[in-house]
Amino acid sequence: MYSTGFNTNQIMRQVIYALALGISASYIFFGWGIVIQILLGVVSALVIEAAFMAIRGRPVLESISDGSAVLTAVLLAISIPSIAPWWIIVVGVAFAIIFGKQLYGGLGSNPFNPAMLGYAFLLISYPLQMTTWPVDFSAFSQAINIIFNALSFDGLSGATRLDEVKTGLSLGNNLATMQVHSTSQAWINAGFLVGGIYLLVRKVIFWHIPVAFLSGIIVMALLVLIFDSQTHLPVQNHLMLGGTMLGAFFIATDPVSASTTPKGRLIYGFLIGVLIVVIRNYGGYPDGVAFAVLLINMTVPLIDHFTQPKVFGRA
Amino acid sequence: MSSYSYPGGVVIANPYPVDQVKIIQSPLPDKVVLPLQQRIGEEAKPCIEVGDRVLTGQVIAQTEDQFCVPIHASISGIVTAIDKQAIPHKSGLKSTCISIESDGKDEWIKTKGCGSDFLHCDKQTIIDYIQHSGVVGLGGAGFPSHAKLNKAIDCHTLIINGTECEPGMMCDEALMQHHPREVIRGVEILLHITGAQQAIIAIEDDKQEAYQSLLMFNHNDRISFAQLPAKYTSGAEKLLIKALLDVEIPSGGFAADKGILCQNVSSVKAIFDAVIDHRPLVSRIVTITGDALTPTNVEVRLGTSFEQVISLTDVNNQAHDYRMGGMMMGVDIETTQMPICKITNCIFVNNKTLKQPAKECIRCNTCNTVCPIGLLPQQLYWHAKSENIEKCTDYHLSDCIECACCSYVCPSNIDLVSYFSFAKALDKKQTADQERIDIARDRFEFREYRLDRNKEERSQMMAEKKQALKEKMAKDKEQGLEQTDKIAQAMARVKKTKEDNV
Amino acid sequence: MIESVVIFSGLTLVLGLILGYAAIRFKVKGNPLVDQIDAILPQTQCGQCDFAGCRPYAEALAKGEAQINQCPPGGQEGADALAELLNVETLALNEEHGESNARHVVYVDEKLCIGCTLCIQACPVDAFVGASKVMTTVIEEECTGCDLCIPVCPVDCIYVREINPTLLTFVPTIPGEAHV
Repeated sequence: MYSTGFNTNQIMRQVIYALALGISASYIFFGWGIVIQILLGVVSALVIEAAFMAIRGRPVLESISDGSAVLTAVLLAISIPSIAPWWIIVVGVAFAIIFGKQLYGGLGSNPFNPAMLGYAFLLISYPLQMTTWPVDFSAFSQAINIIFNALSFDGLSGATRLDEVKTGLSLGNNLATMQVHSTSQAWINAGFLVGGIYLLVRKVIFWHIPVAFLSGIIVMALLVLIFDSQTHLPVQNHLMLGGTMLGAFFIATDPVSASTTPKGRLIYGFLIGVLIVVIRNYGGYPDGVAFAVLLINMTVPLIDHFTQPKVFGRA
Repeated sequence: MSSYSYPGGVVIANPYPVDQVKIIQSPLPDKVVLPLQQRIGEEAKPCIEVGDRVLTGQVIAQTEDQFCVPIHASISGIVTAIDKQAIPHKSGLKSTCISIESDGKDEWIKTKGCGSDFLHCDKQTIIDYIQHSGVVGLGGAGFPSHAKLNKAIDCHTLIINGTECEPGMMCDEALMQHHPREVIRGVEILLHITGAQQAIIAIEDDKQEAYQSLLMFNHNDRISFAQLPAKYTSGAEKLLIKALLDVEIPSGGFAADKGILCQNVSSVKAIFDAVIDHRPLVSRIVTITGDALTPTNVEVRLGTSFEQVISLTDVNNQAHDYRMGGMMMGVDIETTQMPICKITNCIFVNNKTLKQPAKECIRCNTCNTVCPIGLLPQQLYWHAKSENIEKCTDYHLSDCIECACCSYVCPSNIDLVSYFSFAKALDKKQTADQERIDIARDRFEFREYRLDRNKEERSQMMAEKKQALKEKMAKDKEQGLEQTDKIAQAMARVKKTKEDNV
Repeated sequence: MIESVVIFSGLTLVLGLILGYAAIRFKVKGNPLVDQIDAILPQTQCGQCDFAGCRPYAEALAKGEAQINQCPPGGQEGADALAELLNVETLALNEEHGESNARHVVYVDEKLCIGCTLCIQACPVDAFVGASKVMTTVIEEECTGCDLCIPVCPVDCIYVREINPTLLTFVPTIPGEAHV
């Protein structure tokens, strides 16, 4: 009696598969770090989720096999620096699953995006580790050493391009004198873009949120550029730097925390896009995807209330 | 003309297609069970007793009001029982039924009708014949046809619903293929009664034989055909009207208010039977389908048990799941010892399978994209689950037609419709309870008021009486000792009488 | 420093005056809390709560002189609804006040009735029809099932009839939960 579309477990798995391209791009540029982080994250996620479901008296095997905890862990592992110490991902995943999902009632009941909640918690609590990004390829043994033994290698860590631009601007430098383009970030974003298009084609996600998200970024970036093109990034850099594509197709589209009505989704995506540009330009952190998503998650009930679709037979 | 579309709905391929649509004539059943509670209206009261012999087509039960239709015997024989029997209803409750054991003769009672000369028959008379023949909406709603016709004043368009209500059903298709003459004549009867300018017969575009069959018999230029793309919920009246005429009947309103009358094609044939052949509704065509047999249609007397009907097919020997109604809106039933009712349009017989467990709702909103009414099933689900009926009403729970498109597409396999029927029933119960409580409160307060008022009236009356007595006594005093005088005189009279008698 | 003291005192004075004015000008007549509580109570007027009816119990609850779990006809749902209204912890129904049963009505066995009218006088909602030395019967739609008539009948001719769900009043259960 049920349709031939995807069921919930399959949806989660499709999203994880679609991330593969972007993860591969990250591996090519920055090495084994990301793979190790993902493995660590997935194992911790499964253990913590199983423990919590057992405490709550719910069936354990069913819930860890639905793929949602794994997806949260993978998204978080992609968002953090791939050379962060091992306990960063473990603590982040624990916070995301416990405070971002289980305490609200489990799958389907969380108002906030769990991966982003975990990221925000990590960023605020451990700013040093969370702003030390890789700048070059790390081999497997190097990655293990950095992650588990906290060894640091010269020339292997630094700030992201967005971070450098922001620091440069605050020091009074002109945008024209700075290197704004980042090949590695552009390729990674392209990887996630392709993955996102795959999800759209397979009808795993609806088009409303990614399109509105990217429109929001474009519109706000253009608006800001009109006022001052010297100290603000061009539009294409906004799209290809930082977590833009990941956010558009994988993070903002999390169905549980996003708006549910079609019109509401357009507004939701657009507001997130706008807020990201605002935070990038005027906020304290170099990339604003996580905070923008969390803030707009808070307004979702309001958006939903005012964007109900027209009912047949009613004016 | 509209593009024959409405938003929402799901395209579902026929899960059990057949090459040829046939109708098997069921032999006379040995026994029929006829429920007194029809889908809409009050429970009918029997007008025969146990042990009576009844003829086919004889009225055996009626309700007091004129809204409902009478119940007829579907075979001739002896009434063996009037007691509670299992009926196909999702509650599993039993209801009073009349059981008749067949005498094998199928002797019909004499009935009246218009004959083929219906054009010279008075419209109200025709509607009365339709009511007395027990015709209700045979598409599944069971609404009394005469009541619909009575309301259809100023009707300008007639819509004949030949779209099969659900995927997998073929009873209407079979009827149109094998009895086209009766269908067209029935439409002409309706045109005569309502005075409509046009009749549109709606058929799905994958039923070409039925369409050709009807086309051949149609010589009336007021009757036209519309071929709709095959999509589930095209059979819902309001959505069909939207698809054909681009008119949206307002929530809570009726098609009759807009001058449109919609009748299912099986009901139209039943009207033909009633008016021209003057035969009451005693049989219907039922689709038997599923993966446990070759799908087919059976023409069977009302009240025949499901078991007997299924035995006419080539059903296999495995354990089965049974379902009355379609794959979307039907009701799962435990046993086949149930009678065929007027609204039984389909029986599913499937090999037993495990039900998929439901997971949590992930708010993906796929349900809203397929809802033909444009509701938010996911919000209704959350609020129905927490029994917050007020919020459900805010989200227009009453507009839900329970088509189950949302349950069908839900990736978490949640049976959404069961939550909505629960919420509707709970709403009905709570409203009834609240009314009852308010009336009880009023009665209690009135009683308090009544007792107080009685007490006051009584004390007032006593006070007035006392006052009157006082005044009387004062008046007597004024006029002297008349009181004592009178007593003395009376005693003297008594003494004298005693002395006289001695 | 002085400025902040002056500013805040001034603010406090102004806001206090506004609140005082509002408390007098917009005072609600009557005691709506009692009405709200009374709207939740089932109006059986049975007295099982140890008060003389639903309204006296509502008044006692509003004053804080009674517990929310004293009403068996309201059931646990009623107690929970009262807890929500009064913003207190919900309590389990107090068994000392009686059992919470499914809704029922009473009926008179007319063969035994002697027309004493004691039941008519006992019924708090006047659900009886009858008079002295005339047979009495119950109007089933008006009966609240308070059972006050049963003990007063001298010939014990009043019996209880359960109300069972019919096809039209049936409430289905939702998957995984039982609902009465």
